Amino acid sequence: MFIVIAGAGRLGLLLAKKLREDVHQVSIIDKSEMVCKRLAEELKGVLIIQGDATVPEILKQAKVEKADVLVSTTSSDADNIIICDIAKEVFSIKRTVSRVNNPKHLLLYKYMGVDVPIDSTSIMARIVEEEASFSDVMNLLSIKKGRLSIVRVDIPQESSVVNKELKDIILPPNSVLISIIRGPEITVPTGSTKVLANDEVIAVTLIDNEKALIKSLIGDL
Amino acid sequence: MKYIIIVGCGKTGRELAVAFSLQDNVVIVDINQHALNSLGEDFNGKKILGNALDVDVLEKAGIKEADILVLLTGNDNLNIVISKVAKKRYNVKKIALQVYDTSKKKIFSEQGLIIVNKTYILVEVFKKCLL
Repeated sequence: MFIVIAGAGRLGLLLAKKLREDVHQVSIIDKSEMVCKRLAEELKGVLIIQGDATVPEILKQAKVEKADVLVSTTSSDADNIIICDIAKEVFSIKRTVSRVNNPKHLLLYKYMGVDVPIDSTSIMARIVEEEASFSDVMNLLSIKKGRLSIVRVDIPQESSVVNKELKDIILPPNSVLISIIRGPEITVPTGSTKVLANDEVIAVTLIDNEKALIKSLIGDL
Repeated sequence: MKYIIIVGCGKTGRELAVAFSLQDNVVIVDINQHALNSLGEDFNGKKILGNALDVDVLEKAGIKEADILVLLTGNDNLNIVISKVAKKRYNVKKIALQVYDTSKKKIFSEQGLIIVNKTYILVEVFKKCLL
């Protein structure tokens, strides 16, 4: 794949390095001459363009018309949106991915047709919340516009499902246990898999049945 | 009476806000309280403190009801982003924005937005005066 990255801050640089390791073609754009000079020393085999990526001419120099994906990582939300917009409208790039600096600006990214706006602040907040909370249940992901959710449940010692085989555990409809994590081992459970105390269970469920699923695994919250 | 939103309370925004507020319904938005304070007594409209990239701020300013939107922040990209969203998402009838970069004026001017470029105007004025 050929990927154009706009903005060579910490995120842009790290991304460029990773993509090069995976043998993708990369070009990277940054406003600062100093940053570009340092990039030239650190990144081998990457096309480096110094300039303002919101100017179409600069994007052209980075060969954006040949790119499969454009990634925008600048610290300005207006710039990121414009870069993705120009990539789509002027250069017909199919997929644009962007960092969202301020979560309050996320909606504008969506309104302006950025394909994948990544709101790192909210993602971090969710991880921190998970790490900081004492709850045994964590919602990992909502998919299908929030209708399905993937949850992680730590099985407590006193749970009624401990030492039971999966086929003897009654789960609410539209809920499936997809993985059991026990120490370093990750297994895909079958009907004869036994649930043990301190297992981490990953389950997918319809959002309406989430509470019932959790109740059936650990009892009343 | 028209409903006019002006984003950016610099020199141009300030003058325009005061002038429009004589007969129309004007809301002015800026991220800087000092800029809003500088409007003084002559301004007869509503002031909103906030970043126009925040949809909540735009909606608080009444973008859903606005007849006219004028974008005068010093940031071309911000002006362009908000003007496009206002047109696509909120169907604002008349949108005018200031764009400094002449190359951007070319790309975005086809899309039914009134783009005002200082350099371009100055050049035209000088040409008229001198030639």
